[in-house]
Amino acid sequence: MDLRLGDLEQLVLLALIRLGTDAYGVAVQREIARRAGRDLSFGTIYSTLARLEGKGLVTSHLGDPTPERGGRRKKFFTLRPAGRRAVRQNLKALRTMTQGLDPSWQAP
Amino acid sequence: MAGPVSPAHKPPALAAWWLARALPPDIREAFLGDLEERFHSEVLPARGLRAARRWYWLEALRAPLALPLPDRRGSPTAQPLNRSTAKDGVMTTFLRDLRFAVRLLGRQPGFTAVVTLTLALGIGATTAIYSAVHPILVESLPYPDAGRLVMVWEREKTGETSNLGYGTFRDLADGATSFDHLAAMSYWEPTLTGTAEPERLFGQSVSAAFFRTLGVAPALGRDFTAAEDVRDAPRAVILSHALWRARFGGDSSVVGRAITLGGVPFAVVGVMPAGFENVLAPNAQLWRPLRYDASLPHACRSCRHLRVVGRLKPDVSPAAARRELDVLLTRMMADYPTEYASTGFAVPSLHAQVTGGVKPALLALLGAVALVLLIACANVANLLLARGAQREGEFAVRTALGAGRPRLIRQMLTEALVLAAAGGALGVGLAIVGVRALVTLSPPDLPRLDAIAVNGPVLAMALLVTTVVGVGFGLVPAWHAARSEPRAGLHQQTRHAIGGRHAMRAGLVVSEVALALLLLVGSGLLLRSMQRLFAVSPGFDPDRLFTLQVQTGGPRFQTDSATWGYFERVRAAVRAVPGVEAVGLTSQLPLSGDYDGYGVHSESKPRPNPADDPSAFRFAVSPGYVETMRIPVLRGRTLDETDRGGAPPVVLINQALARRAWPGEDPLGQRVRLGDPANGPWRTVVGIVGDVRHVSLGAEVPNAAYVPETQWGWSDYAMSLVVRARGEPAALLPAVRRAVRALDPDQPIVRVALMSEVVAASAAERRFTLVLFEAFGVLAVVLAAAGIYGVLAGAVAERRREIGVRTALGATQRDILALVLRQGLSLTAAGAVIGLGAAALLTRAIDDLLFQVPRLDPVTYLGVTLLMALVAGIACWVPARRAVRVDPVAATRGE
Repeated sequence: MDLRLGDLEQLVLLALIRLGTDAYGVAVQREIARRAGRDLSFGTIYSTLARLEGKGLVTSHLGDPTPERGGRRKKFFTLRPAGRRAVRQNLKALRTMTQGLDPSWQAP
Repeated sequence: MAGPVSPAHKPPALAAWWLARALPPDIREAFLGDLEERFHSEVLPARGLRAARRWYWLEALRAPLALPLPDRRGSPTAQPLNRSTAKDGVMTTFLRDLRFAVRLLGRQPGFTAVVTLTLALGIGATTAIYSAVHPILVESLPYPDAGRLVMVWEREKTGETSNLGYGTFRDLADGATSFDHLAAMSYWEPTLTGTAEPERLFGQSVSAAFFRTLGVAPALGRDFTAAEDVRDAPRAVILSHALWRARFGGDSSVVGRAITLGGVPFAVVGVMPAGFENVLAPNAQLWRPLRYDASLPHACRSCRHLRVVGRLKPDVSPAAARRELDVLLTRMMADYPTEYASTGFAVPSLHAQVTGGVKPALLALLGAVALVLLIACANVANLLLARGAQREGEFAVRTALGAGRPRLIRQMLTEALVLAAAGGALGVGLAIVGVRALVTLSPPDLPRLDAIAVNGPVLAMALLVTTVVGVGFGLVPAWHAARSEPRAGLHQQTRHAIGGRHAMRAGLVVSEVALALLLLVGSGLLLRSMQRLFAVSPGFDPDRLFTLQVQTGGPRFQTDSATWGYFERVRAAVRAVPGVEAVGLTSQLPLSGDYDGYGVHSESKPRPNPADDPSAFRFAVSPGYVETMRIPVLRGRTLDETDRGGAPPVVLINQALARRAWPGEDPLGQRVRLGDPANGPWRTVVGIVGDVRHVSLGAEVPNAAYVPETQWGWSDYAMSLVVRARGEPAALLPAVRRAVRALDPDQPIVRVALMSEVVAASAAERRFTLVLFEAFGVLAVVLAAAGIYGVLAGAVAERRREIGVRTALGATQRDILALVLRQGLSLTAAGAVIGLGAAALLTRAIDDLLFQVPRLDPVTYLGVTLLMALVAGIACWVPARRAVRVDPVAATRGE
């Protein structure tokens, strides 16, 4: 399976990991905006999630409706094992690429 | 986290509705919920309602472009965009095409911008012109059953039409059965006093049935009654909505009150509705009843100063009405044999009357702008064809993957429609700006000016044009793509495909050049007409000459001698202003729409019917008028201070009248009566002066008779002052104004202008047409040049290898230059031949707009052809230079 990730896919997967069981649209949007400083539209987020779901990297289930959502249910996303593998592999590639560089280039 | 949700602070319902339809079902609920949650919890508190709603809209509009479509679950990348399955709705397929088109175009911002802008210019110009054409030529006039409204004119032997005298109107109104109502009207310019500043108003005197004829009623108060339209009836006035708002603060208690007009009280009986549009006198601010009876001196049958409008009965045709009126006329002519020189009546529809004058110009402009639109479309089709060439590989792949040709054509059409929609939207924006400019530029006599706007019908037209244009230029490359061999694109383009595309692009360029040349010929002919027109001498010298109109009103001017005395003092006061070289007064100013004609009855040559005698414009003038205007005195003498009331009556005539009234005789010393053939003084012709273009520079010189103002039977209530300055006229104007105002601050000074401006303004409609034609011509040439450039640049790029081989084999730079230029210029030449041929046929359409220039004027045709050749040469030069610089080694090394 191809585990290469695009930039957006990487951001969204990392947001899912950080959010754990509370990963739904608004939370993902907010997490990425806060941490990465990128104010993504929901269209972009959902299309990325759909792509990840299509690749078998994430799975989703419906939650409960809340009043501030106009009585609509949330859709929660969680990583599948393949998703975790993909994130690891991509982070590893990043680390490997930055190893030995000037400290200012060190990846987290 | 979210505060209490106020129902007023909801996300836009329309956006939510649209999203619910555009989103795939599996994420629809969650997506809408997320949007609403973020709307309430973050965006609304941080940015406020307006910005939050805008944010929601933006999210809603962007989402369908980013997201998989409703029918596609699972892997979005696995299914190609080629095939639409039977399950797919039309909407789904369209949305998919749309998204693909938008993405594709977004990836080529330069191409998209050029196409959108080209289309926007074409659609915008068309929309702007149509917004003027629609209310004037298409829409019916803003009255109920407007088709039944007609004008009634007397028809003279010369074929010209004239106003009616009151007696004639009375007989028609009483005797004709073809009309529901007939109404007569004349102009009225009272001065409103008793409020703040005295203000000159513009109004109409109308017979009582005027508003009933038009089919409109006052919004406040009541209409005029027949009892108010008789001599010595109490004075009544109806106000326009605008005047009521501006001068009376929209106070409805003004109805029933009296206002002072020209020093006389008038009872306000009504206020017209805000939407009332008066096409018969667009500037009219108020109306009063005519209050004539047959005993008044100006109510005679030959005092033809009333315009008449009528409402036909439902089943009566204008022709039938005219026949009935003509029968009535024969009776009137039998009763009053010396009062008529008419051969019958003319009964044109009111619509034709109002719009007839500008119809040829508007139609010509509509034609011109349609040419611009066609050129824009040809250009865009050209760009799409060029792009189609680059995309042949893509189409081949998609065909191989199973896309049918209809599917590819639909995709290309969608792309074209997306481009057209973008161009249309931007074009409507341009049109809104353009219409404002159009209204500013427009000649003062353009009817229904207030109705010219980008409104519903105009937008509908823009939408129609956009759709037609989109389908039109979309079909060209689509048709071409459908014809080409699908697999060929994968290997190499076949000769057939390349040849077909080249022929089509060449054809488009040829037609662009032809269309542009057609427009250039039109502009050129109009420009030459304008030059010819301004080469016509107006008959006076406008250099350093300015004018202002002085009016008299109020109880102080009840007698003729008071009025004459006042004008005399005005003249003396202005003459005393330092810097004034000469000054004169006239009752009618040339080229400014003043018309006042009288019959000229010669003592020595009485005709059996004096109504057949020539008529002339009567100018009541002060001594010094002829000299101030520098109208040449050809024979005899001019008027001087001794020609005043009590002295022997004299008259000056112009050359035209001398020639027409006394052909082959000496007019000097002849005696004439002006107006009434049976009464009044005999006036001796003491001088012949040069012809003045009174009506317009282009019209025939009318007869003119100049009489000393104090020798005329009554005083004119307004006189135009003409002043020649020693230096800069504009600098002198304030001092002259002060001098007049010092005599009587209550008398309004109006119509202040340099005479050179008056001359220029007399050709305003012509100038309007010319300016627009020139603008369209420039646009057309630029677009055509862009088309030539595009084709040649493409050809040079495709022939790089061939050019390289030629260079390698010894072709000089000159040879290569010639090769490219020949291709470009031969296309231009073909276009020029077609364009000139078309112009020779189609300039018939602007024949009415030309002045002393034949429509096959060789100078114009030659001039614009050279201009086009020059522009085409420049457009060819750039790609030709590029061809010269082709490096033979790099070019032949392969792709």
